[in-house]
Amino acid sequence: MLADLIQNTLDGLGIGAAYALLALGFTLIFGVLRRANLSYGPAIMIGCYCAAWTHLNFGAGLLLLALVAIAGAVLAGAYVERLCFAPHRGGSAIAAMVASFALWMQFEELATLVMPRHVYAFPALYEGGPLAFGPFTMRIEALVMLAAAATACAFLWWTLYRTRFGLAVRAVIEQPAAASLSGIDVPGVLVRVFALASALGGVAGFLVVASHEQITPMLGMWSTMKGLLAMMLGGLGSLPGAVLGGLALGLLEAHSQWFFGPQWRDFIAFALLFALLAARVPWMTTRSAS
Amino acid sequence: MDDYALGVLTNIGLFSFVALSAYLLLLAGEMSFGQQAFFGIGAYSGGILTALYGWPLPFAAVAAMTLGALAQFLLGLPTLRLRGLYFAMATLAAAEMARIAFELIHFQREVDGELAGPDGTQGFRGIRWIFEQDIEPLGYLGIVCALLALVLVAFLLVERSRLGATLRGVGEDPELAAVLGIDVRRMKLGVAAAAGALAALGGVLFAHHNTYIEPRNFDIMLGVHALAYALIGGLGTAFGPLLGVLLDIGVLEGSRVFHGYRMIVFGGLVAVLLVFRPRGLLDEKAVQWLRRRLP
Repeated sequence: MLADLIQNTLDGLGIGAAYALLALGFTLIFGVLRRANLSYGPAIMIGCYCAAWTHLNFGAGLLLLALVAIAGAVLAGAYVERLCFAPHRGGSAIAAMVASFALWMQFEELATLVMPRHVYAFPALYEGGPLAFGPFTMRIEALVMLAAAATACAFLWWTLYRTRFGLAVRAVIEQPAAASLSGIDVPGVLVRVFALASALGGVAGFLVVASHEQITPMLGMWSTMKGLLAMMLGGLGSLPGAVLGGLALGLLEAHSQWFFGPQWRDFIAFALLFALLAARVPWMTTRSAS
Repeated sequence: MDDYALGVLTNIGLFSFVALSAYLLLLAGEMSFGQQAFFGIGAYSGGILTALYGWPLPFAAVAAMTLGALAQFLLGLPTLRLRGLYFAMATLAAAEMARIAFELIHFQREVDGELAGPDGTQGFRGIRWIFEQDIEPLGYLGIVCALLALVLVAFLLVERSRLGATLRGVGEDPELAAVLGIDVRRMKLGVAAAAGALAALGGVLFAHHNTYIEPRNFDIMLGVHALAYALIGGLGTAFGPLLGVLLDIGVLEGSRVFHGYRMIVFGGLVAVLLVFRPRGLLDEKAVQWLRRRLP
């Protein structure tokens, strides 16, 4: 019993790290735009499909595939930003969100047009078996994911608190009008934050498909849903919240899957989100979200 | 008319109900990602009543609408206090819980020597009321259109009344509405119940048109499509959501011109359209312009 709990916790941390990475990108975009980008996951999927296509046709190595995935996600993200968010800045939040959903539909159809099979193989992140500590095991992929999440946090912290660009980003998050008046190029900051978040998403997506060794068009919806859930659980627009929310979601899922099965796992995650929202817990409803 | 055209037209009618329910909530200033849940509740409860208990469809439809209204009213009690994305996410969480509940329901009984009823992820087969009553596809299309026409007349009457003005006021500026003495919370709860009933009516009709439903029919894709239909059609009149459904299902799927590229065309059109008309084709200004020119 205790052994199961410990093993589930180890498994949960691995998947939670992937959720944390997804939520970090989501929350960055939310922080500066005050809008949820439904196309965030599908743009990541496009990046990963570019990598899978490159692998299929040229058999490139993992490092190159990771770069292709990141570049693809950033390009797809730029398309989303130009068409869905730049035109609606200061305008209708609903229109921006519905437009981002429309591009989601485009991305999904594009992916299935170019690569029509439902599942494609993806090269493995690591060929060997899991690490063993006595009776417990931990997948190397999970450790890589945790390391990537920790690195991303450190990098984001450094960017936000130790660079001029980070200062501008924080100003835009706190007071967009004042930031604009003090000479900060707000649209430029938004574009760069969008690119940064998309790159993070590309890393997350690449690690997920490489540790599952396959890719399906469901990756888009999966990334959006898990990223949104993790971001909401930790509190909108908060970077530490995104990491905590991601890890909490991973742990919750690992334990509930073990005890109740996969359907209840998803049910419990949504029930928790619903209960926290309905109870209006302070960390989730302090930021204004239009 | 061939069966394909009849099917497309019936689908336009069916999805108009759920688009109208999203539209109604948008008028009250709320964006729901969860209207698929009430469509699903209508489909499942109506299907169970006709297929397992032998109820006639009209009674089953009334029961399903009552259930849908009650469900969205109860959901509204804790969630309508939330704003914007928080409300949207709460409705999405509730709708996903409903979808998983449909996957977990196994409730089968023997009807005429065969097992019928919801069977978890295997879906719910044998909702055959319209075949047992010998209703032709054209006749069913007539029923759907008649009900839709009734709903539209109700919308037009309400929108021309004081109630309609109050509703738009609550949607545009709830604080101002409250200062003017409008009970915003009661208004929003009433809207939620009406939207739940509308989506459930669409669901009942959908279940009996398809004869087979499964939990996947009621995932987030349906809910966000409903929202998109309402928004691209326009928030100025109840004909807006219909126009949205007509553009997507009617023109793009029905014409088969863009076969295989439909979502790429539709997605791009929607995003570009919203840049120029963020409140849809038939927004308030367009509707006023039309009213002045039409008798």
